[in-house]
Amino acid sequence: MRGIEGKVVVLGSRGVGKSRLVIKYIKNALHRSEEPTIAVSFFTCNIMLDDVKIKLQIWDTAGQERFRAVAPMYYRNANAAILVFDLTQYKTFTEIKSWIQELHRNVQDPMILTLVGNKMDLQSQRAVSRDEAYLFASSIGATYFETSTETDQGLEQVFLSTALGLVRLADEGKSHSLRSFESTDSLFYTNGNTAFSYTAAAVVRNEDGAAFRLPYVHIGIPVDGQDVKATGEGRLETPSWAIEHIALGEVERARWCCY
Amino acid sequence: MMANRAPMLRIGQQDLKCRQGCGYYGNTQFDGLCSKCFRERNDKQRKRQKAGEDHETLKVNTSSAGGTLERKSPQHSLTMGRANKAKKQPEKDEPTTTASTMPRKKFTVPAVLQKTLKSKFPTAAPQPRVPSATESQFMLQLRQLRIPDDGKRKLKSEIQQLDHEIRKYMNNNSSKNVDELSELVQNAYTRFADLVHNDARFEIATNEDREIAIDFFEKVVMTQNHNLLFSPYFTTDEECDIKVQKRIRQLSWITTKHLDCSIDEVNAEARDLVYNAISELVGIDSYYSPQEKLLCTVRCCRHIFELLKRSTGGPASADDFLPALIFVVLKANPVRLHSNLNFVNRFTNASRVMSGEGGYYFTNLCSAIAFIENLNAESLGLSAEEFDAYMSGEQTYSTPWESALLACESLHLISENMKCMEQLQKRNSVISTGIKEFERELIEFQREITEKVDMVMEKAPLTLLPIKTPPFLISQARAHLAQDGGEAAAGHYQSNLLSLSQQTLTVKGKEQILEDSQLDVGHTLALKDTSVSSVGRLSPLHPNLPQPDQLFASPIFNYTPFDAVSLLEETSENDDVLMLGTEFQGGLTNINYDFDLSDQSGENSVAEDTKLNLDEFDPLAQQQNSPNTHPAETTLLDTTADSLIDSDVPVSEVLLPSPLKPEVANYRGFSNFEIPSISCNTGDFSSLNQDVNDPVAPVQINK
Repeated sequence: MRGIEGKVVVLGSRGVGKSRLVIKYIKNALHRSEEPTIAVSFFTCNIMLDDVKIKLQIWDTAGQERFRAVAPMYYRNANAAILVFDLTQYKTFTEIKSWIQELHRNVQDPMILTLVGNKMDLQSQRAVSRDEAYLFASSIGATYFETSTETDQGLEQVFLSTALGLVRLADEGKSHSLRSFESTDSLFYTNGNTAFSYTAAAVVRNEDGAAFRLPYVHIGIPVDGQDVKATGEGRLETPSWAIEHIALGEVERARWCCY
Repeated sequence: MMANRAPMLRIGQQDLKCRQGCGYYGNTQFDGLCSKCFRERNDKQRKRQKAGEDHETLKVNTSSAGGTLERKSPQHSLTMGRANKAKKQPEKDEPTTTASTMPRKKFTVPAVLQKTLKSKFPTAAPQPRVPSATESQFMLQLRQLRIPDDGKRKLKSEIQQLDHEIRKYMNNNSSKNVDELSELVQNAYTRFADLVHNDARFEIATNEDREIAIDFFEKVVMTQNHNLLFSPYFTTDEECDIKVQKRIRQLSWITTKHLDCSIDEVNAEARDLVYNAISELVGIDSYYSPQEKLLCTVRCCRHIFELLKRSTGGPASADDFLPALIFVVLKANPVRLHSNLNFVNRFTNASRVMSGEGGYYFTNLCSAIAFIENLNAESLGLSAEEFDAYMSGEQTYSTPWESALLACESLHLISENMKCMEQLQKRNSVISTGIKEFERELIEFQREITEKVDMVMEKAPLTLLPIKTPPFLISQARAHLAQDGGEAAAGHYQSNLLSLSQQTLTVKGKEQILEDSQLDVGHTLALKDTSVSSVGRLSPLHPNLPQPDQLFASPIFNYTPFDAVSLLEETSENDDVLMLGTEFQGGLTNINYDFDLSDQSGENSVAEDTKLNLDEFDPLAQQQNSPNTHPAETTLLDTTADSLIDSDVPVSEVLLPSPLKPEVANYRGFSNFEIPSISCNTGDFSSLNQDVNDPVAPVQINK
């Protein structure tokens, strides 16, 4: 079994729900009702995709403009970045653009980019159109998701897509900072404050079930409010599909599953 | 912990000064001399190396007296002073800084000698083959490692090898580069990690044990070579340390507001947590191995998270965390910050700072320091002038934090008390609002109740409906009338009864009693009743009453109307008639009197009056009373009744008051007026006895 350990930074302006996104996801993944008690800006979580175990180290960052200067310290050696913006505030979307430019300037290693439009539950206050965000994501080579931390929509897909990207990155072997190893056990050693054991258990439970198809990743844009509410449990999920996608000439994807 | 430390902070400046009076700080370890004076004295005494002491010991000299701080590090005593120094820095003024830096610079030149000297210094020197406390401790730990003995031997040899390499590099006279050194160490780590994971000697060890072995390797090497590797003389670490320290001191005016972080500076609980965080941060310098330094950082950050969790009420995010960490760093002003960070960065296992919780927090700490170094007006949201004014000290400031930390106990107490008062006031206002609320609720409750009652009253008003005589009673009465045999007088009675029943207020129950009494009461009583009622009613008409009575009674006893008239007219003449008349009259009054009294004493209700009335007019009762009486008698009675009705409608009303009329008036009328009129008439009981005992009595009366 292969193991991949990647560092994921969560970037975005203040108040877009970066921390909330991670906390909610970890919470769901752990099947725990209570919030993580301590150290709520650093998480590790393990994701199992087929026979690859991906350990994500999620680094939350301070989004204030005044801390922009120190941001390179955070995304140094990062393998993936989750760029979060608020769908209801266009300003946060433009700030993402500056983040991207900065990343491109400072990071030489290939990086998996995931663009996340948060607060999709506030449809009425929406300020960033899906098409615009989607086109921007395509232009920077990122996958685009819309999520809601209130209704737990699309959270899993963000992290699963990131994990898939890391697997692809490891396969290409271009990244030097991405830790890839054969032994699964070595994943166990630095699990201070992690979702590991829980996730591992969940992974074991679902191993016989349909697994995530590799390396077949789609731009899974959760559409509208009707799609199935995401939970932490592994199950078959029908792809979210909208008329816009067909219009954009996308191919309908195969069924895919979490964990 | 902070409680112990706090008093230490307030040691008088004078106590810390060198006994020689040179103006620099002294140290108890050097007989209260400053390092310079101590050294000079030592130089004279021991005639030792002119090079003097290395900066390590010098630093100890400059710092304050030892305290009670507990440190787990074996070289605890050495670092003690540094920790204290860090706490003290905000108090120190410029000359002190120069004092600590100047001599250091002077003596940093012959570096090699310094280093060798330092290692010989009695604190932690594993160099001589006599195992020091630290070394023996490591040996013990090595023995406890759960790896094969082969592995242990290998581990030991690896440690010695790296040790040797580092020393060799440091003693090498060629130009040195800290990056080269770092690479050397990092390569050794990688090599050892490979060895542990792949070597046959470690095969049976679990992964966890392997990691422990790698950790141990790093820890031992770093602790033993800390002196050499920590801020090497060929780097600018020290200068950076000084710069940062100075910078932080200049920034002492920064409050939580400037940083926009949610730490309550005055809250005692929050303050304690900040103290904890600060002590951990300061403690970084007291540990030798990078792991321990990282652990310290993690502990510090956890305190901050705890703090944030309490102040914000939810899980804190990085948006809140970084400002808080910056605040803590500013207030802690940890000693040799740069050296420590660089040491960790260079000589710890690279993966450690790149990943994991420790790495994350370490990165945060680094960025906090970077932020502080590059801090400008804009990043604090101040105007450039304002910022400059603060920085140059032109603009005075006072922060609750500073007041607590340096000014004086009482000022701190004041702010604490203010906070306490504030809380009390808050509670007081809560109570008073509660009282007001309660009052309001009470009023509301009252209003509601009244409203409800009113509503109910409206829904179901108290209306007095005329009482209907139950039909069975009427039919009964009719039956009675029918029994009478269709007498002409019956019509009178019936109509009378009906009219009465329609008027009476008396309820059915009372009617029932009436009914019962009609059945139960004996004839004598019935007789008395009639008399009573008649007299009662007719008392005002008393003088006239006997006349019609006698007149109409005549048919029964064959009295002619003429007789009666003659009787009345000629009472004075005819004794017999007079006798009879008096007897008749007296008999009547006697009965009346007797019954009236009992009636009154029994507080008779109107119902009883009506009962009496009905009895009087009840033809059945009359029949039962005197079965032998002639039909003419009934006619007599009927006529009496007739006459009563005809003559005195108001009288009957008195007897049977309308339900709508107040009963009290009637009652009073009875007691006040009628009784005296009766009592004056009679007083003879004989007739009563006769009445009861003698069945002939009615006949007598009638006579």
